Amino acid sequence: MFPQFGATAESLSKASTAVFRIGTDAHLYDDPDDVNIAPLLESKFDSEKTEALKRLLALIAQGFDVSNFFPQVVKNVASQSLEVKKLVYLYLLHYAEKRPNEALLSINCFQKDLGDTNPLVRAWALRAMAGIRLHVIAPLVLVAVGKCARDPSVYVRKCAANALPKLHDLRMEEHTSAIEEIVGMLLNDNSPGVVGAAASAFASVCPNNFSLIGRNYKKLCEILPDVEEWGQIILIGILLRYVIASYGLVKESIMFSLYGKDDNLEVDEQDFILKEDTGYTSEKTLSELANMILQCYIEGPDEYLSRSSSANMVPPKLDVSQFTSCSNDIVKILLKCTSPLLWSNNSAVVLAAAGVHWIMASKGDLKRIVKPLLFLMRSSYASRYVVLCNIQVFVKAMPSLFAPHYEDFFVCSSDSYQIKALKLEILSSVAVESSVSFILKEFQDYIRDPDRKFAADTVAAIGLCAQKLPKMATTCVEGLLTLIRQEYFCGEIRSMDGEDGVLIQAIISIKSIIKLDPPSYEKVIIQLVRSLDAIKIPSARAMIIWLVGEYCSLGEIIPRMVSTVLKYLARCFTSEALETKLQILNTTAKVLICNTGEDISTLQKVWSYVIELAECDMNYDVRDRSRFLKKLFSCNVDSQNHVEEQNSESQKRDQSYVFAECIFGRQTTAVTVPTEPINDRFYLPGSLSQLVFHAAPGYEPLPKPCSLPYIDFDQNDGTANSDSDEDGDPSTSGSVDEGSASDYSSEQSVTASSEADGSDEIDSGNEGNNNVDPLIQISDTGNVSEEQNGGVHSRFGDLMSTKSLESWLDEPAKSSKENETNQSRARRSSARITIGNIRSRIKPKYYTLLDPANGNGLKVNYSFSTETSSVSSHLVSLEVFFENCSSEAMSDIVLIDESSNRSSDPSTNQTPSTTENTMKIHTENPAMVSMEDIPSLEPGQTENRTLLVRFHHHLLPLKLALFCNDTKFPVKLKPDIGYFVKPLPISIEAFRDKESHLPGMFEYIRSCTFTDHLVELNKGSNSLTEDKFLVICEALALKMMSNANLSLVSVDMPVASNLDDASGLCLRFSSEILSNSMPCLITVTVEGKCSDPLTVSVKVNCEETVFGLNFLNRVVNFLAEPSVTRS
Amino acid sequence: MLQCIFLLSDSGYYSVSYYQFVTFFRIIEPMVLDLWFRHREVMLEKQLTGHRVDRSICGWFWDQSISQGDSFKQLPVIASPTHYLFQVFREGITFLACTQVEMPPLMAIEFLCRVADVLNDYLGGLNEDLIKDNFIIVYELLDEMIDNGFPLTTELNILQEMIAPPNIVSKVLSVVTGTSSNVSDTLPGATSSCVPWRTADTKYAQNEVYVDLVEEMDATINRDGALMKCEVYGEVQVNSHITGLPDLTLSFTNPSILDQVRFHPCVRFRPWESHQILSFVPPDGQFKLMSYRVRKLKSTPIYVKPQLTSDGGTCRLNVMVGSRNDHGKTIDSVTVQFQLPSCILSADLTSNHGTVSILADKTCTWNIGRIPKDKAPSMSGTMVLETGLERLHVFPTFRVGFKMMGVALSGLQIDKLDLKTVPYRFYKGFRAVTRAGEFEVRS
Repeated sequence: MFPQFGATAESLSKASTAVFRIGTDAHLYDDPDDVNIAPLLESKFDSEKTEALKRLLALIAQGFDVSNFFPQVVKNVASQSLEVKKLVYLYLLHYAEKRPNEALLSINCFQKDLGDTNPLVRAWALRAMAGIRLHVIAPLVLVAVGKCARDPSVYVRKCAANALPKLHDLRMEEHTSAIEEIVGMLLNDNSPGVVGAAASAFASVCPNNFSLIGRNYKKLCEILPDVEEWGQIILIGILLRYVIASYGLVKESIMFSLYGKDDNLEVDEQDFILKEDTGYTSEKTLSELANMILQCYIEGPDEYLSRSSSANMVPPKLDVSQFTSCSNDIVKILLKCTSPLLWSNNSAVVLAAAGVHWIMASKGDLKRIVKPLLFLMRSSYASRYVVLCNIQVFVKAMPSLFAPHYEDFFVCSSDSYQIKALKLEILSSVAVESSVSFILKEFQDYIRDPDRKFAADTVAAIGLCAQKLPKMATTCVEGLLTLIRQEYFCGEIRSMDGEDGVLIQAIISIKSIIKLDPPSYEKVIIQLVRSLDAIKIPSARAMIIWLVGEYCSLGEIIPRMVSTVLKYLARCFTSEALETKLQILNTTAKVLICNTGEDISTLQKVWSYVIELAECDMNYDVRDRSRFLKKLFSCNVDSQNHVEEQNSESQKRDQSYVFAECIFGRQTTAVTVPTEPINDRFYLPGSLSQLVFHAAPGYEPLPKPCSLPYIDFDQNDGTANSDSDEDGDPSTSGSVDEGSASDYSSEQSVTASSEADGSDEIDSGNEGNNNVDPLIQISDTGNVSEEQNGGVHSRFGDLMSTKSLESWLDEPAKSSKENETNQSRARRSSARITIGNIRSRIKPKYYTLLDPANGNGLKVNYSFSTETSSVSSHLVSLEVFFENCSSEAMSDIVLIDESSNRSSDPSTNQTPSTTENTMKIHTENPAMVSMEDIPSLEPGQTENRTLLVRFHHHLLPLKLALFCNDTKFPVKLKPDIGYFVKPLPISIEAFRDKESHLPGMFEYIRSCTFTDHLVELNKGSNSLTEDKFLVICEALALKMMSNANLSLVSVDMPVASNLDDASGLCLRFSSEILSNSMPCLITVTVEGKCSDPLTVSVKVNCEETVFGLNFLNRVVNFLAEPSVTRS
Repeated sequence: MLQCIFLLSDSGYYSVSYYQFVTFFRIIEPMVLDLWFRHREVMLEKQLTGHRVDRSICGWFWDQSISQGDSFKQLPVIASPTHYLFQVFREGITFLACTQVEMPPLMAIEFLCRVADVLNDYLGGLNEDLIKDNFIIVYELLDEMIDNGFPLTTELNILQEMIAPPNIVSKVLSVVTGTSSNVSDTLPGATSSCVPWRTADTKYAQNEVYVDLVEEMDATINRDGALMKCEVYGEVQVNSHITGLPDLTLSFTNPSILDQVRFHPCVRFRPWESHQILSFVPPDGQFKLMSYRVRKLKSTPIYVKPQLTSDGGTCRLNVMVGSRNDHGKTIDSVTVQFQLPSCILSADLTSNHGTVSILADKTCTWNIGRIPKDKAPSMSGTMVLETGLERLHVFPTFRVGFKMMGVALSGLQIDKLDLKTVPYRFYKGFRAVTRAGEFEVRS
C-alpha cells in the first residue's frame, strides 16, 4: 500500500516542481537520449553542440558509457565558444584513457590554445592536456608545463603546478629531474597561490627532495599565512618534515621526553612530565604509552610493533645531537608562522598547525593548541569526529593538556554513537581529582540515556575512572550497585537490546574495582551475592559466582555465608545456562579448597551433589569439567574426611590436592594480568592512517631526525646524470647480456615431439638449461593428483584424448622442476598448462651504475639477481659488473654505502655476526654489506661481484660511493621492488588458500596494455604451427619473471573460446617479501584478442598494503612498457 | 589526493506519504521502511584523476549503510575494501569522495563541505531536483573547484565570476533565445590579485556594509536543573558592497570575553594579535568574517522543566516552559523536541499552548512559537509503558529551539567599523540574532 502511495505522492511533487524547472537543464538530465545526439554534435551552431554535449554529460552522470561519441566530440575541441570547450574537456577527460588514439587528435588544438592570449584558455588547455594521461604525449606536456610555469598569469602557473603530479603519475623515470626542477621553480614563485599548488605538487612528486625546500625555507615560512588554505595544509607538513630531517627534534618538546629516560642529564625533564601527570594512571604505563606514540611518529607503527615484539632488539636511540633547541631560529620561524593558522577558518589547516606544535613546540607552549582544537568541534559534523580522534591520541600521550577542559567533552544527545564513545574515552582519561566528581555526575545522566549501548559504555568508563582515581572508587561502586539494583528491578522483561549490556558492564566494572583492594569491598560482594536471585542474565550470574569463589575466604561474613550460597547454587544448577554451570563447578571447587571451617560436611555434600548433576548434564563441556574435578578432588575429599589428623600432621598432603590448590587456589589474585602489550597503532596527527588504524598507502612517518646531509647540491648534478640513463640504454644493456640473450629467438622453434622424447630430456632440461628444451608442459584439469613427480608422462595419454585440448597438443610434454600442478579445477573451460623451464630464459635487466664517461673509463653495471642471500633474508643480492673501458689499469675499486660510517672498517663486515650488528644500527636506512674490493682491473678486463643490499622497502635510490684509484664517484643504486621478494614455490591450492585469506584491503588491481607478444607473433613466420596462446603465455611469464623475482604457480588457458580470443588467460605467480616473509600473490588475467594489444589486469594480494601497491605499480609499469627489441 | 566525487541522493523517506500514513506511531522496522520508502541513486560522478573509481563503490556503500544502520551514515571516514571514502551528508544528498592514498582527512571533509556550501549558494538550496536540473553547472563547478584531486578555486566570489549562477533572467533568456552560456569568457581578475577573494573593479552606487552577529547558544541542563554547560558559538557575518578596494577595521568593546576565534582568510593576523582589532579587505557580498566562542555563561533566556513520574506501567509527563526575561526581547519560534524511549507503547500528550506532534520514529515535537505573556506554556500527558515494565528507567533528553532577534546573548558588542583607503562615505548597519544551538535539558 505504501509504495503506490509513495509513488503518487512523488509524481505529484514532481509535477509541481516541474513548473520551476523550465529553463534549466532538467529535461536534459531526465531524458538525455530522446534525440539523436550525433547530428547535433556535427551542427554548426554552438547552441546545438552545447546541447548535445550536455546530453552526453547527463548520460555520463547517470553511469552510461558514451565513449562511442569520442571522435565526434574531439572534433569540437577547436570550437571558439568557451562553453563548448569546457564541456568538451569534461567529456574528453572522462574517456581519454579509454580511447587513446582518438585523444591524440586533440593535441594539436591544445598546443594552439596554449598560445592563446586568454589565460583561461591557456590554463584549460594545459589542464586537459595533462589530464589525458598518455605516455606518448608526456614529453609534449612536460614542455607545455615548463612553459606555463613561467606564464605571467598566476592562474596558469597554478594549473601548471597541478599538472606536475599528473605527469609524475605516468611514471616516466627519465623525466623525474625535469619535473622536480619545475617544482622547485614554482615553490620559489612570488604569488602565494602558486606556492600552495607547488607544495601539493612537491608532496606528491618528490616529498623527500628537501634540497628544494632548504633553499626557500624562510621565504616559504613567511608566505605561509597568505597561501591558500588547501596549500597551507600541505605546506605545513612539508616544512615540518624538512625541519626534522635537517635539524632534528626539539629538546623542549614532548618528543624529547622519549629519550630523557635513559639519560641522566634529563632526569628533571622526565620528572616534570610525570609530576604533571600524576594521578592519571600508573606512571609507568603513562610514560610507556606516550613513549610509544611518539616513537610511532618517527618509525611508523608497523616497524615499532615488530621491533618491540622481539624483546632483545634495542630501539634505535637518538642522541642529543639529533635534537635542537626551540630557540633555534629555524624552529622559531616555523612555530611563529604556523601559530596564526590556529585561527584559520579551515579546520584541516588548524589541525595541521596543531600537529606541528604538538611535535615541535616546547611543552609550555603546547597549551596554545588546546582551545583551537576544542573549537574545531563546533565546525561541521563530519570534521568533529576526525578532530576527536586526534584529540584522543593527544590525551593519551599527555592528559594534563586537556584536563581543565573536560566540560567540552560532555556528550550531546545529537552526537553520533562513535562521537559519544570517543568523548567517553577522553573523559575517562582526563579525569583528575578536581574534575572527577563533575564527570561522574555527568556520567549518571548518561546512564539514563535511551541508547543502552552508550549507557553500557558509560558504566565501563566509570569503572576506568575508579581504577585511576582510587579515592573515588567507593563512590563509584556505590553508584554502580544502585544501578544494578535498579536494573534488575526493572529488568524483569528483557525486551530491549543492550539492557543486559548495562548490567553486565556494571558487574565487570565492580569486579575490576574490587580487584584493586578486595578487603575493603567485602560488603559489596555480599550485596552482589544477595542480588543473585534477582539477576537472570547468565553471564552476569557467572561473574558474581566467580566473585564468590574468588573471595570466599575474605573477611568475616563471606566465609560464613558461602555454604548457604553454594546450597542455593546447587539447587538451581539444572536450570542454569552453560557458562553459569561451569562457573558453579569452579566455585564449588575453590570453596572446598579454601574452606577450613566447620561446615565442611555440608560443603562436601553440595560438592558431590553438584558433581553428580554435572556428570549427567546434556552439555559435554560440563560433563568433562565435572569428571576432571572429580578426579582431581577424589583424594582430597577423602583426606578431608579425616580433617583432624590431617591438620595435626599438617604437611602430608596428597599430590593431587596440591595440584588442585595450584589450579583453584588463591593464586589468581596474586597473578594480576600483566599489563597487556598496547597494540594500538599510532600515526601522525591529522593523517588518514590515524583514523583507519592502518598505514594507508603513501603514509610516511616523520623523517629521521637530522637524516639530511647538509651539502647535497653538487652531488645532485652527478646523480641526475646517472639517473637519466639508468633505464636501459640499449647499447649498454645489449653489450652486457650476451650470456643469456643469445638463445631467445630460437625459443619459438619448439616443435612437436613425442612423449618418449620428453622423458629423455628431463635431465637435460633440469641441468643444462638447454634452450632446445620443450617450453611447455600441459597438465590436465580433471585428474586427481595421484602422481607427484614422474607420473606426468603417463597421464599424458589421457590428455591426448580430450578433444578440447587437441589444438595445442602438438607441443611436447615435459616435466620440469618448476611447478607440478595437478589438481582438479572447477572451471571446465580452461586448461592448466605448465610452461617448462622458463627460468632459464630469464634475462636479467641491466642498469648502469656508473657511466664510463663519468667514471674515467670505468663502467659499472648492475642487475638484480634472483638468488637470495644466505647471510640474511633481508638482503637483496645484486650482481655488479665492473669493466675497465679505459686504456689504463685501475686499482682498489671498492663500492661502499655512503650513509654508513666510513671509518668503520668495511672489511670486517664480512662475517655474518657483525653484519647483523650493522643491520641493527641502520635498521632504517638501506644498508649494504660491503663487497670485496677489486685490487686491480686491467684495461678491457671485466670483473663481477655480488653485492648484498638491504633496501628495507625504500624505493628511493641508494647513495653509494665508488672508490677507484682513490677517486670517489658518488653513484646511485636504484632499488627494484621486483626483487624485494623471493620466489615462493607453492601449489595452486596453497595459492588459492592464501589468496582467500587476503581479500579486501589486501587486494589491489590495476590493468594495463601488454604488447610484447605482438613482436613474437609478427616475427614468427610459421605462425600457423605455433599457438598464439602459448606465445602470449610465454611472453607474459618471461616478462614477469625477468623483472621480478617470482615463481610461476600456474597458467590457465581458456579452451572452449574463440581461437583468437585470449580472454581468460590467467597466470599466477607467487613470492614472499624478503624482509618479513609475507606472501605476495600476483594474478595476471588477460583480455582481448591475440593479435591486438592485450588488456592485462594485474591483481596483487599482499598483507603489506604499501608494499603491495608499490609492487603492483611496478608490475604494471614493466608490463606496459614495450619490450626492447632483441636481436 | 581525491580520486573521485559522487553525489548520491539518499533522500530518506518520501515525506508526504510518510507523514500522512503514520499519523500515530506504530512500530515499523527501520529496515522495512528502508525498502519501502528509500530511494537511492548516483546523481553525478566526477572522476578527478587518471585512477578511475568505479561506480560500484556506491553499491558497497549503500549495502554497508543498510546493514550497519545509522551509525555508519555518521561515520565521515570509511575504509572500504578498495578505497577510503569520505562522506558528508547534507539535505538528503551524500557527497562521497574516494581516495586510495594517504591524505589529510579533514582536508577532504572540509572540501566536501565547501562544495556543498557553494552548490547551496548557486542553486539556492540543496536537493535532488536542484542538482539534477543544474547538473551542467555542478559539473563545471566541480571541475573548477578541484584539479587532479587537489582543490583549485574554492572562493565563491571567483567561482561566481567564472561560472554564472543560474537565475531567472538567464533561464528565461535561454528559453527565448535558445542560447545560454554560464561559462565566463575571461579569467576573473581576482585570481591574479594579491587579495584572491576580491575582484578589483567593483562599482556600487550606494556603498554599504552590514554586520550581523549571529549566535547560537549551546547549553546543557542536567536532571537536577543545574546548568552544566552554557556557551555561545557566534559568527560575524558581513555583507559588503563597496566600490574599489576598501580596507575595513572592526573593533569590539569587549573582545576579552572571546574564548576562541577563527577568521576568514582576509583577516590580518597581526592587528588582532596586538590590539584585537579586525583589519581586512572584505570580499564582495556576503561572507563569514569570523566565528567565535564565548564560554561559561551564567544563565539561559529560557527555562524548560520536564517532569516524568512513572508507576504501575504508566508514565506521566509534564513540561513547563518559560522565559527569564531580563533582555526585554521576545523569544520566538520556541520548540521542544524529544525522542520517546522505545519502551513507551503509546503517548497522549496535550499542551495549553502550541501544537504537539509525534512521528513514527517516536520523535515528539512541541511547537510553541512565541511565549505568551499571560501564561506559562506547558505540555502534559500520560504514556503507556511496555507490558511488564513498571517504571521508566531511561529518560529522554529535551532539545530546545528558540530565536531572539536583536540581541547577542554572549554580550559581545561591536565598537566601531572604519573604512580606510577609499574616501567614500558608506552606510553601516549592525544586527544581532541569537538562536538555540545544542540546547538540551535532561530529565
